[in-house]
Amino acid sequence: MDALGNLLLGFSVALSPINLFWCLVGVILGTVVGVLPGLGPAATIAMLLPLTLKMDHTTAIIALAGIFYGARYGGSTTSILLNIPGESSSVVTCLDGYQMARQGRAGAALGISAIASFVAGTVGVLGLMLIAPPLARFALRFAPPEYFALMVLGLAMVVFLAGDSMVKALLAMLVGLWLATIGTDLFSAESRFTFGQVKLLGGVDFIAATVGIFAIGEVLVNLEARGGAELFKLAKGLRNLLPTLQDLKDCRFAFLNGSVIGFFIGALPGAGATVASFLSYGLEKAVSRHPEKFGTGVIEGVAAPEGANNADAGGALVPLLTLGIPGGNTTAILLGGLILWGYKPGPLLIQEHPELFWGLVASMYIGNVLLLVLNLPLVPLFAQILRLPYYILYPLVFGISIVGVYSVNNSLFDVWMMGFFGLLGYFMRKLDFPAAALVLGMVLGDGLERALRQSLMMSQGDITILAMRPISGTLLFIAVTILCLPAIRKVRSWRVEAVEREG
Amino acid sequence: MTRDKGNLISGACLVAFGIYVISVAAKLPYIADVGPGPGFFPLWLGIGLVLFAAYLMFASVMSSAAKAKSESQSWKAGGRALAGWSAMMIAIALLGRIGFGLSFVILTIFLIVALDRRPALLAVGVGVGLAVAFHLIFVVALDVSLPKAIWGF
Amino acid sequence: MKLRTILLPITVATVMAISAGFASGQEFKPSKQIEAVVHTGPGGGSDLLARAIAELLQKEKLIPQRMQVVNKPGGGPAVAMSYLAEKKGETHTIGFFTGVWVTNPLTTAEATVTVKDLTPIVRLVLEPAVIAVKADSPYKNMKDFIDAAKKNPKQLAQSGGTITSRDNLMRLLIQKATGAQWNFISFPSGGERLSNLLGGHVQMMVIEPQEAGEQIRAGNLRVIAALTEKRLAALPNVPTIKEQGIDVPLIPQARGVLAPPAAPREVVQYWEGVFERFEKTASWKQYLEQNQFEDGYLKGPPLSKFFDDLTVQMRDVLKEAGAKVVR
Repeated sequence: MDALGNLLLGFSVALSPINLFWCLVGVILGTVVGVLPGLGPAATIAMLLPLTLKMDHTTAIIALAGIFYGARYGGSTTSILLNIPGESSSVVTCLDGYQMARQGRAGAALGISAIASFVAGTVGVLGLMLIAPPLARFALRFAPPEYFALMVLGLAMVVFLAGDSMVKALLAMLVGLWLATIGTDLFSAESRFTFGQVKLLGGVDFIAATVGIFAIGEVLVNLEARGGAELFKLAKGLRNLLPTLQDLKDCRFAFLNGSVIGFFIGALPGAGATVASFLSYGLEKAVSRHPEKFGTGVIEGVAAPEGANNADAGGALVPLLTLGIPGGNTTAILLGGLILWGYKPGPLLIQEHPELFWGLVASMYIGNVLLLVLNLPLVPLFAQILRLPYYILYPLVFGISIVGVYSVNNSLFDVWMMGFFGLLGYFMRKLDFPAAALVLGMVLGDGLERALRQSLMMSQGDITILAMRPISGTLLFIAVTILCLPAIRKVRSWRVEAVEREG
Repeated sequence: MTRDKGNLISGACLVAFGIYVISVAAKLPYIADVGPGPGFFPLWLGIGLVLFAAYLMFASVMSSAAKAKSESQSWKAGGRALAGWSAMMIAIALLGRIGFGLSFVILTIFLIVALDRRPALLAVGVGVGLAVAFHLIFVVALDVSLPKAIWGF
Repeated sequence: MKLRTILLPITVATVMAISAGFASGQEFKPSKQIEAVVHTGPGGGSDLLARAIAELLQKEKLIPQRMQVVNKPGGGPAVAMSYLAEKKGETHTIGFFTGVWVTNPLTTAEATVTVKDLTPIVRLVLEPAVIAVKADSPYKNMKDFIDAAKKNPKQLAQSGGTITSRDNLMRLLIQKATGAQWNFISFPSGGERLSNLLGGHVQMMVIEPQEAGEQIRAGNLRVIAALTEKRLAALPNVPTIKEQGIDVPLIPQARGVLAPPAAPREVVQYWEGVFERFEKTASWKQYLEQNQFEDGYLKGPPLSKFFDDLTVQMRDVLKEAGAKVVR
């Protein structure tokens, strides 16, 4: 395969001054859009499509793609600093990232997020370049039973989010799964749990729920203490505002983990970056030497999901560019753009327009470097936000949350939802129910139920289809093993106690 | 409110919620043409909720009283949090009538003055400053529309 | 003196009456940003069409103000329709409809706004559909597929949208006409429907020719029937479903513009004028060709009749499909 030759062609296209300029514009805009909760890359790209009509097409896709993967860099900023998920895929980053900020390590968290994003983003581009067509063909083998198994594997991650009480994690997850059922049922057109409200027919808005539970819930908890809860300590000195060499060493596996999982999940149409970030986080915790520390501010817990959501962007371009199939909202708009410019996205796009594909690929390498260079120096700047006194910080969080949630659909109803979820988040914190488990349920609930019913429709009601197919069977086996881990550990500790008592 | 009492009450609430879910799910078709219908999933979710929540209640009753952590002053502190929450909800209610700018300033004033007993001037300053910043960044620069009243913000 | 006291009020009244007559004939022109409501999020079919139309309208200078697309997704078209209904009296809001705006209120109790409540402006597009199978499958035409389905009832599968979508309704109509039976598996996104067909997990799907075009060119898909009255220009060798002996009513996928309830006459006339000129522009014709849409231009009383007829047709088909019809 003439990958090297094509890549050189690509760089010759991407390094032209015009393309470099628009790549820079795209990634900067993407970062800004990613930082702010609510306003997402999808809406931004859609708004800018008309402007691209006047541009050279390769330049246009370079710029729009820059917004797409640039947003994944920005999403972690408010997640880490303020516990406000900037993008739905940044929810997992809140878990350890915010805790790191509370311990004065915001700079390290932001920094490792940028570095992990760079590593995984670059791996994603490598993958796009080298294995896109065979990966796309492999992804076609994923039918509903495989998606179901993947979702079950994702839910098995609840084991890793449990903290002290497995029961509470399971209950939170069940509530999350229930929240996912609200709305019109895809298969039967029946409405479920909509309380007669038209606005609930589409379900609960994910951003409204997560911003409510995480951001608002957190502020409410902090309001309890007069004089603000423990003020964020900010480490002094620039050296402490970035990740240390030891941090980088600790994250070696996380970089790999995020890259691989993110890229593969991204290539599956329908599975989103949020799923990828949960799976990556779970895997990281599973192989860690100190799993019990996850959730208290462990740096790998930031690196893994942040890497995953960046590699996912690269993966999402695989089905789009090799088959003309969009995997999610944003890639659907990119597809619309390609059609608008007169291209016919499909299996022949790469062959017939190599300068488009390879120019884009080369620009993504450049874009990831630009993003790293842009984001790292901004880390100490952003970290200064935590210096603000809490009486400015709390209104700021309220404000960003309200504006962010409102801007998703211009809907006051969503803001109300956020308010109620804020109260829920507060009570969950007080009563020790892990919010991450609820979010996991919400994210996977739709996909899980849908995949199960689709699978049974395929097999005419025969449930063994789930275990009989090789890929789904394997994934289910892994999931079941993970679910049995707590039981195995309990049995082991009983045995140890028993031995000690006798001895 | 001790940890166990908290578990007991939340367990009870979840049991009640689970029963509600089951009752609604039972009205939906359980089996469709092929495979489960819309009632299948919620029904089992409800059952799971009831079972696990009942276990939670059971465990909280059984566990020893010696573990009790006394947090009596959290009642008052909880009141502060709920007051803050109510203020936010009122601000959301006002959003449609008096626009984002004013609602936000009112919310900020409440948070800083009523909850924190700091000077009103500071509160107004912070509120107006942030509201203007939001307006500039979101409405002007990013072309996002925020709830506005007849006076434009 | 007496004459003046009579003449004055008469003159005033006459002048007022004349100027009132002028006022009702006064033309409407947008004086601020125009809102275009769509029921999908950014990137959805309606959203992309609305943005393209907004762009073309502005490019051709057919509207004096910007047109801003407002996304109101949720419950199919229900949230968008109820939002549009709330905008009654607002002269700067329009909505882009598709066929689902007609069918959704028939099956969803919470969707209280129907197409009849809104003011029709124009129908712009008719989207044709075709039936596609994988290129290496043994089905070369409808007969092959129907025969195979009859031999193995409920073994073959079709991927599509919700059970009230055109995909499924066409399936039910064809099943009824031929006596064959096959399964229907719902996928929320077009991408998943296509990838499941390409992966061999389902055997056929109803798809728009523009989506299928590239897959056909690459040799992955084969189109075995056109769900249109006449053969499609881009696929001249594909017989229509009626030509293959299966006589079923064709469900059109229409797209066009609606206004809030009881829109004033001047506003309706303004928009009708705009779109009448728009339909003739070369850039719109080029857009239609790029997307393989049919020009479905229709306005006025025939458009209202179209909605009424479609509602009746949909109600019947849905009842046959076993869907719960609430309106």
